[in-house]
Amino acid sequence: MRTVAVLDLIGLSFGALRERRLRTGLTVLMVIIGVALMTSINGLGGGMNNYISDQLGTLGANALIVTPSASAFGPEAQSGMQTKLTSQTVRTLGRIQGVDYVIPSFTGGGTLRSGSESKTVAVLGMDQSKMVYVTPKISFESGAFVSSTDSGGIVLGHSIAHPSNLDKPFASMGQSVFIEFSKIENQGGVEKLVTKRKAFLVGGILNELGSQQVDSEVFISLSAANAFFEKNSVYDVIYVITKGPDINDQVETSITKFYGKNIGIVSPKAIASTINEVMGTFLGFLTAVAAVSMFVGAVGIITTLYTSVMERTREIGLLKAIGYTGGTILFMFLMESFTIGLLGGLLGLTAGVAGAYAMIGILPLGANAISITPYFRPTDLAQVFLLACALSVIAGIYPAWRASTLSPITALKKE
Amino acid sequence: MTGQGEKLAIETLDLKKSYKMGLVTVYALRGVNLRMRHGEIVSVVGPSGSGKSTLLNMLGALDTPTSGKILIDDVDISRMGERALARFRNRKIGFIFQSYNLIDRSKVAKNVELPAIVAGMPKKLRNQRVHELLDLVGLGDKSNRRPNALSGGEQQRVAIARALINDPAFILADEPTGNLDSKTGEEIQNLLLRVNEEKKATILIVTHNLELAEKTGRILHLRDGVVEKERAGLMPHSKPSDSDLNVSANGRA
Repeated sequence: MRTVAVLDLIGLSFGALRERRLRTGLTVLMVIIGVALMTSINGLGGGMNNYISDQLGTLGANALIVTPSASAFGPEAQSGMQTKLTSQTVRTLGRIQGVDYVIPSFTGGGTLRSGSESKTVAVLGMDQSKMVYVTPKISFESGAFVSSTDSGGIVLGHSIAHPSNLDKPFASMGQSVFIEFSKIENQGGVEKLVTKRKAFLVGGILNELGSQQVDSEVFISLSAANAFFEKNSVYDVIYVITKGPDINDQVETSITKFYGKNIGIVSPKAIASTINEVMGTFLGFLTAVAAVSMFVGAVGIITTLYTSVMERTREIGLLKAIGYTGGTILFMFLMESFTIGLLGGLLGLTAGVAGAYAMIGILPLGANAISITPYFRPTDLAQVFLLACALSVIAGIYPAWRASTLSPITALKKE
Repeated sequence: MTGQGEKLAIETLDLKKSYKMGLVTVYALRGVNLRMRHGEIVSVVGPSGSGKSTLLNMLGALDTPTSGKILIDDVDISRMGERALARFRNRKIGFIFQSYNLIDRSKVAKNVELPAIVAGMPKKLRNQRVHELLDLVGLGDKSNRRPNALSGGEQQRVAIARALINDPAFILADEPTGNLDSKTGEEIQNLLLRVNEEKKATILIVTHNLELAEKTGRILHLRDGVVEKERAGLMPHSKPSDSDLNVSANGRA
């Protein structure tokens, strides 16, 4: 073999693949599908991870989120069983060791109107001077926080002021905007839909933070929210700021000891790990599907190559008769499967990267579209590619071995 | 044994081959002693089942004998391993088959080149030899065609060029005219005879075609695994007086 012109042998392998163009093409396609799936899922997974860490990265590392129920997210149903978060709760939490600040807040939703434009927004009412503790990266494009005594000022999140679907700002500094919200009111035994409406003056516009939540919220003072949304001083969310992220767990334990399961506590870390766990399971499932399709691709290679060996029995017999050793023939057939893997791998990576972007476009990601950018780690791409090549060569071993061990006599006799 | 100290191209010594078919042992060759000098052209004829194919496989180094020896260019190949046999076939033997066995997807030149690739012949020399040989067989202008675009006779010419590329010790032709009409068959016959004369190639032809056999130097009649009869053909340089040197065939040694 040492003097054998390897390039000539590779040329012969290519010739064989080219002769069966359709079959080779379909087999390459099988590999492409597996590799592309694997690549897209990798890219989407990476993108989602980035997205989640961006979202949660805006929350202070030492912020704990206290809600009335033990559910992980948000203050939802108001069942009588739940602990109401009141000024008493705020005082109790403030006395817990390791707690720096306790920041109560009201949340509400409504329609924000500015001139002829309107949009649905989430409204957060809190003492804005404490907002830096909850979202430390917060900064103003213009204006400033609304003071706690101001019942008519409003701060707009960046994507509220600059929505992507408008070529001009939705609202600007010093302008009046209206918040409307509807509720069912009982008027003398008759239920009636009532729309409340209040004007606010834009006192500040935030810089983009990268957090979907903060960027698309509007902020008013605690008292204004209490009055407008008729909260009767029952808070929706209380942010507990600890003296440092390292004592989050300790504070969380203290709060739980006090309130038991009547209160929900979430730390950004916990949210992140919950989301990542769910995402991980989901992505793991998709990856398994992709892995199966890569495996199917390998089986496809076995079938294609094996059929080819059977069809080319005479050719193999001839090669043996004119002095090609079993090793040389093994090499030639492995080159065929390797070529299929190489082509499938390269095209699959390309298709996978394109596919990840396409999937982002297709996936139903809600009204205020979550902007996930696929993220591909080079090591992941290399891994998928090498896996495709390795699987192809492994798949080629059996057919190639069969070819290499064919007896030249029987091979030549075969019609 | 040669008596003249002349190096032989092929010599078999009491060559025997038996194999089992189910419960029956078939004795395909029962002691064949055959000698061929360099530059000879010899034909082997015989009815089917006479052991022709088995002898061909043995001489072609495609199979190893049960007992006895095969010396090709004074090298005993009867105990060689598979790799050594492959290498041997590549360097020392040129095959011509009844059904040509060309690779249709490869061009004529590539087909001729095939044995030279594994022989490690440099590309430049390969190309040069391919063109020389294609000229010799009269296909100098068809090196870029594909075999399936050629007639049967032309395909067999390509196979003859392929058999010659590594300058083998001898050429083994298995029914070279078997798939051809009589006129084309005759052309191939003449080409083989010309190759024998011009290139001094040693050629052993296994055939049913008695007309072709007559034109070679010697004709060996094989029957029931032994050389039953041997006689001179028309090719002048194998004189009958050589026959003492060539064959001593009897059933068992």
